[in-house]
Amino acid sequence: MSETKTEEIKTLPGLGLPELLPYLKPYRKTLIIMVFLGLVASLVDSIMPLFNRYALNHFIGENTLDTLGIFIVLYIVSTVIKVLSDFISLTLAGRTEMSVNRDLRNASFNHLQTLSFSYFNQNSVGYIHARVMSDTGKIGELVAWRMMDIVWNLSYIIAVVIVMFRLNVRLALMFVIIIPIAAVLITYFGRKYMTYNRRIREINSRITGNFNEGITGIRSIKTMAIEDVIETDFRAETENMKRTSVRAMHYGAILSAAVTGIGSFCLALVLWQGGYLTKEMVMEIGTLSVFISYAVGIMDPIEMLTETISGIIAIQVNIERFTKLMKTESDVADRPEVIEKYGDTFAPKKENWEELKGDVEFRDVSFRYPDGKELVLEHFNLNVPHGTNVAIVGETGAGKSTLVNLVCRFYEPTTGTVLIDGRDARERSQLWLHSNIGYVLQTPHLFSGSIRDNLKYGNPDATDEQIMEALKLVNATGVVEKMDKGLDSDVGEGGDQLSVGEKQLLSFARALLADPRILILDEATSSVDTVTEKAIQKAIETVIQGRTSFVIAHRLSTIIDADMILVVKDGKIIEQGRHKDLMKQKGYYYSLYTRQFDEDAVNTANAE
Amino acid sequence: MSEMKKKQRFETKGRMLGYFLKGSLKWFVLSVLFTIAVTLMDMINPKIISFTVDSVIGDKPAELPAPVLNLIERIGGTGYLREHLGILAGTVVVLALIRAVFRYLWRVFNARGAETFVETTRNSAFEHLLALPAAWHSEHHTGDIIQRCTSDIETIKVFLSEQLASLFRIIPTLILAFTFMYRIHPGLMAYALIFVPLIVGYSLFFHKKIGSAFRKADEEEGKLSAIAQENLTGVRVVRAFGKEQYERTRFEEKNKTYTALWIHLMRLLASFWCSMDLLSGAQILTITSLGAVYAVHGELTAGNYIAFLTYNTMMIWPVRMLGRIIANLSKAGVAIDRLREIMNAEPEKDVENALKPDLTGDIVFDHVSYSFGDETAHVLNDISFTVKAGSTVGILGATGSGKSTLMYLLDRIYPLPEKDGTITIGGVDIQKMNASYLRDHIGIVLQEPYLFSRSLEDNIRIANRSAGRTEVRDAAGIAVLDEAIEHFEDGYDTFVGERGVTLSGGQKQRTAIAQMLIRKPPIMIFDDSLSAVDAETDAKIRAALAEKTGNSTVFLIAHRITTLMNADEIIVLDRGRLAEQGTHEELLAHNGIYRRIYDLQMAGREVEE
Repeated sequence: MSETKTEEIKTLPGLGLPELLPYLKPYRKTLIIMVFLGLVASLVDSIMPLFNRYALNHFIGENTLDTLGIFIVLYIVSTVIKVLSDFISLTLAGRTEMSVNRDLRNASFNHLQTLSFSYFNQNSVGYIHARVMSDTGKIGELVAWRMMDIVWNLSYIIAVVIVMFRLNVRLALMFVIIIPIAAVLITYFGRKYMTYNRRIREINSRITGNFNEGITGIRSIKTMAIEDVIETDFRAETENMKRTSVRAMHYGAILSAAVTGIGSFCLALVLWQGGYLTKEMVMEIGTLSVFISYAVGIMDPIEMLTETISGIIAIQVNIERFTKLMKTESDVADRPEVIEKYGDTFAPKKENWEELKGDVEFRDVSFRYPDGKELVLEHFNLNVPHGTNVAIVGETGAGKSTLVNLVCRFYEPTTGTVLIDGRDARERSQLWLHSNIGYVLQTPHLFSGSIRDNLKYGNPDATDEQIMEALKLVNATGVVEKMDKGLDSDVGEGGDQLSVGEKQLLSFARALLADPRILILDEATSSVDTVTEKAIQKAIETVIQGRTSFVIAHRLSTIIDADMILVVKDGKIIEQGRHKDLMKQKGYYYSLYTRQFDEDAVNTANAE
Repeated sequence: MSEMKKKQRFETKGRMLGYFLKGSLKWFVLSVLFTIAVTLMDMINPKIISFTVDSVIGDKPAELPAPVLNLIERIGGTGYLREHLGILAGTVVVLALIRAVFRYLWRVFNARGAETFVETTRNSAFEHLLALPAAWHSEHHTGDIIQRCTSDIETIKVFLSEQLASLFRIIPTLILAFTFMYRIHPGLMAYALIFVPLIVGYSLFFHKKIGSAFRKADEEEGKLSAIAQENLTGVRVVRAFGKEQYERTRFEEKNKTYTALWIHLMRLLASFWCSMDLLSGAQILTITSLGAVYAVHGELTAGNYIAFLTYNTMMIWPVRMLGRIIANLSKAGVAIDRLREIMNAEPEKDVENALKPDLTGDIVFDHVSYSFGDETAHVLNDISFTVKAGSTVGILGATGSGKSTLMYLLDRIYPLPEKDGTITIGGVDIQKMNASYLRDHIGIVLQEPYLFSRSLEDNIRIANRSAGRTEVRDAAGIAVLDEAIEHFEDGYDTFVGERGVTLSGGQKQRTAIAQMLIRKPPIMIFDDSLSAVDAETDAKIRAALAEKTGNSTVFLIAHRITTLMNADEIIVLDRGRLAEQGTHEELLAHNGIYRRIYDLQMAGREVEE
């Protein structure tokens, strides 16, 4: 999020390539072949006009067709060589691009699996997602195509210059002077063009945002009758878009006019100087025609080359973001000796794992979020013997997740210790702890795939009988029965084939199957119908049986029986105790409770 | 929606394009004119080359149009030019300059046309979206609408300004090149022509075929992207279940499939490009060798030979482009249709000569019923009651009892069908009023208010832009928002972010209240709008409101009886029906639902021992 403004042009040391070397190593050979074949192709390309020269000088100049057969054969051979090397290098470039992309995506995705929660809290999902999906794509493109562009165009220009010098030094010299002038002009206007293009992209994303606001906020816009206000702002944005785009195109047009203008200037030079030379029989007509082809044809590669260079500069920001992600280290990391004994995220040593009982203790814990200013916990002590049911209540955004984050070791205390079964949580691996935790989210999160895949998420060995048993316990058999393929039914992306209530029931079943010692319930705020709510209620009672549980509760009526209630306000725990005691205090819990109770009263009274 | 436009439907793609092209068509016409001019200029250079080679350097008679020949004679004939080749070079440079200017104008006019088109289209689409009824919006996915209004419009623009425009360049180029080639040597031209249908046909075939492969790759990308997305949004679940390894395998497998698909696609593309190269290579070889043969046989001069080859190279690229453009036609057609579906949706409409009456009178609901879609399930059932001007009416009811629907009907967000009763204000049926005017005079504060991505101050005065700083502060004061604002670093300039995400639920509700107060509408609706505010602040706001709402008629929807009890009249809704009505005291005495709720709520405050 902090990085939205790094859009200015800057280059990394070595154009960022040294950082990428490890990812290119597997493709070293392919890259070499690509470069070699690229050289061959542009070499052949640059000598093709020589065929014209020969035809003019020999066939027409000397009025004979004696070597036409060989001419045709050589022409075909050259064309085939060029086309074949093009084909191979194009295919290889495509494959390299895609393979490098794939490797980078894998690397960044896997690295994300090891990062701690502070990273995910400080960066939006959209931002991280773009790192995995789009930055990597840009880098692959750089490695394969930008490199080939340089090889093709640069070697073509060099080959043309060499051929020209071989043919006629005086004419060749004139060209050589024009090339850098052309390059400078193209670079100047090209850069202007690019700057405006970036601005266009920014405006474009704002316009998309406007559309989004106009659509999602339609009710508010209509009830306030502010269509005109919203529309005026929108029109200002599209007007701005038009102005900027036309401005950009102004530079783009100058650029393309300049490029063809310079090309014609070269042509004029050739006609003028070459004409004299030819007229005085210093140079043959065929040679003149070669120069004419070069005059017309050399501007394209120059333009391509400058475009490629700006492309490489534009990609710098992507490389920087990617390498920054790869260098980000988790601030919750297992110590080497812990990894030694318990294994790491991707290679656990389960044989050394102790059983987890579920005693949790906070001992003198103070905690500040890595991006926060103040301590949200100060010298906090709490003992939760196994099997205890802890409820955490407070308003949305009050910071109810903090304790849970510490129990799950998503964060580590700033000072003090969290003890699991009497031992510092840091003495065992994260995966060991996580394998014993069940988590049911307030917005139930399912993965695309079948119902079975989702239920087995926490216990890959679960049999269908176990699955059905778990579904029965949480009253969710109905969810599966109504789907046409039973357990094999697809739940859709993010489970969007199911209602929120159904997803919730399935995620309870998933937690039950994992049979965790510690259970975290982040309860739903979303309104579900009363029948589903009752079902969920019962499911909760079932799953917390005999486990240490932390319930982040929104519906206070559900936690009256909790062994311990922690009341959070503005990030801090302000009240603590059982329901009865807290009600007697007539404090913050009391006001939260009565407010909800009033609403419940209306609903129950009406239902009667 | 300020001025309800006459309904217009676009029966065909062409009609809609024609409508959107208003204002941009002239730029496109200019751009096409200059495109043709540039193409003509392109055709002159090979002429100059052949003239130079044959008649200036060589000694063949010049084959040029009479006026040009006259001009040459006047300056001293080809012999003079031979001594002064600079004149020829100068001509080339002058022509090049003219051409560069034309080219510049072409591109700029084209951009102006394209951007004006996009501006008009987006503005019309946006305006239309705002005019569409709320019901239409609830039926359609936001993402889909946005895509139609952004990337589909972009597709149409690219089609118009690049592909269709390049047709205007390609076709004259082809016609002219072949005419000149025909003039030079009809036989050789025929050979050049044979390859054209081959190249166009192959390119067309390929682009049609590759379309489905691209779609498949896009779908795969969508799936891969979704896995990453799910992993990131579900990071808690992944970690809490310790499933990092599983996620890794899942992603890597999808990644592999996706990559393989693209590698395959790239190979297809490479083989296409290369076979096109081969095909055009064969064409050039044919022309070069046959041309040489004709030249040796004296049918072609050297200069004409060079000119012919130049024309031939000039038309190769346009021919290769042609197939691709034709293949893209269908893509643009789909985009136009997708946009047309939105543009043809029925907007909200007022009756003719809609009224703008005084809205301070009594509000009467007369036998109002309402149902969404199907007739059977009534959200509201035969509701009748009168609200005296300037009074406060409280509405109590369970979730889903139809409280909000009733208010949306009053605001005409939901249109009330004629047979389902009437709602009048001061005796005038609201269906006969101008909707904008009506809504402008009714303020609603929703339970989950929508804030716009602007500053807090702009949000507060969004519906009354003439309001000054002091008015904003006053309104914020009444809504007890001022304290919270002072805690923000940027105060009233705090940017609330998309949908107000930087504010808490209570702060959003209070901002919305301030937003309404600043308008001072004669009718105010509070739809459970203090639910996220604590009891103390709730009381403070209500006290301040009671003072300020003055002559306005107020609807107060709430769950808490202590919030409602001071209302002049209280209505109890039960499953869409009006169950009870009266003052607090009357309803308590009545011993019905209201009484039951009151007892329950009072009991909830008692602490059992």
